[in-house]
Amino acid sequence: MFLKKLFSYGRQEQKVVNRINDHIKLLCVTCETFKSGFEKNDRSLLQKVIDLEREGDFIRREIVSEIYEGAFLPYLRPNLCKFVEIVDRVFDLLEDTAYNCIDMEIPEELKGECTQVAFLNIRICEMLLITFNAMLNGDPLREKTLAIRIYEKKIDDIKLGLKKDLHKIRINNFWDGKILSEFISGLTMISDIIEDAGDYLQIISVSMK
Amino acid sequence: MNVQDIMTTRIECVDAESSVYDAVEKMVDKRIKSLVVKFPGKKINYGVITARDIVFKVFSKGMNPNDVKNSEIASKPVVCIDQGTDLIEAAKTMTNSNIARVFVCDGDNIIGVVALIDLMSAALIMRARGEDVP
Repeated sequence: MFLKKLFSYGRQEQKVVNRINDHIKLLCVTCETFKSGFEKNDRSLLQKVIDLEREGDFIRREIVSEIYEGAFLPYLRPNLCKFVEIVDRVFDLLEDTAYNCIDMEIPEELKGECTQVAFLNIRICEMLLITFNAMLNGDPLREKTLAIRIYEKKIDDIKLGLKKDLHKIRINNFWDGKILSEFISGLTMISDIIEDAGDYLQIISVSMK
Repeated sequence: MNVQDIMTTRIECVDAESSVYDAVEKMVDKRIKSLVVKFPGKKINYGVITARDIVFKVFSKGMNPNDVKNSEIASKPVVCIDQGTDLIEAAKTMTNSNIARVFVCDGDNIIGVVALIDLMSAALIMRARGEDVP
């Protein structure tokens, strides 16, 4: 396939592709760490999410500099960089959400559905990795991006319920309310950004055919 | 993949003795197609009422939903499966009972519901992940 040839051509290109793969794999690990930390209320695991975000930043910088040092044809570079930036936004959001989780006790009545969202976030990240690898192989992405959209829709449905439940919780001070609200928004927004990343892979794939 | 991975955990309930109008209001408000009906008594006792039941058994007969109790049109008992049940088993249960949703139970408690659309979504996800599709 044309795409496979394009992506596997040259040592520099291969390095970039491998690092993007590492970047997405790290995102899956970060989502898993977040879920475990949240479920067990383990501050050290949530702290680890923040460390993993820094590692993600490091990989992002490496990919972007490698690309602008000459990997890939110039017209491809902005698209690939944009994709990496979108993935990096998920790391940032996970970091903020982990901070919020460290800062406050999440009400018991919200925990079940928040855990379910955290679980689905892992699944949607895995799907992004599968989609990226499918793009490299030149496989059609239609089924993969549909799976991402299904996960996103499921999280959206849970979000609606969570927001309604949120209204019923008595908040005693402004900052507790703000942190809780930001926690729920962050947790449920991760899938939106992954969906954007998936769409972007589709755009990259189509634009090169 | 089993039903635990795909079930909807938010279960909406109505009382058996309340009117169908209450059920309609709740379904429209929450944009859902079924409600668990709680029957009175110490023992846990559930039924289910769907949009189909309401249209076929109340509206199409020209009855006033305020005058009909949920208990009069609810299907009972609900069909339950275990949370570890795989998707094929869930689909078979739905086929054999000719129903569009099956409840996931943990002992006497309903902990989730799996509808036809959930099974279709799960099948698409499994295809995308390269797993064996039922």
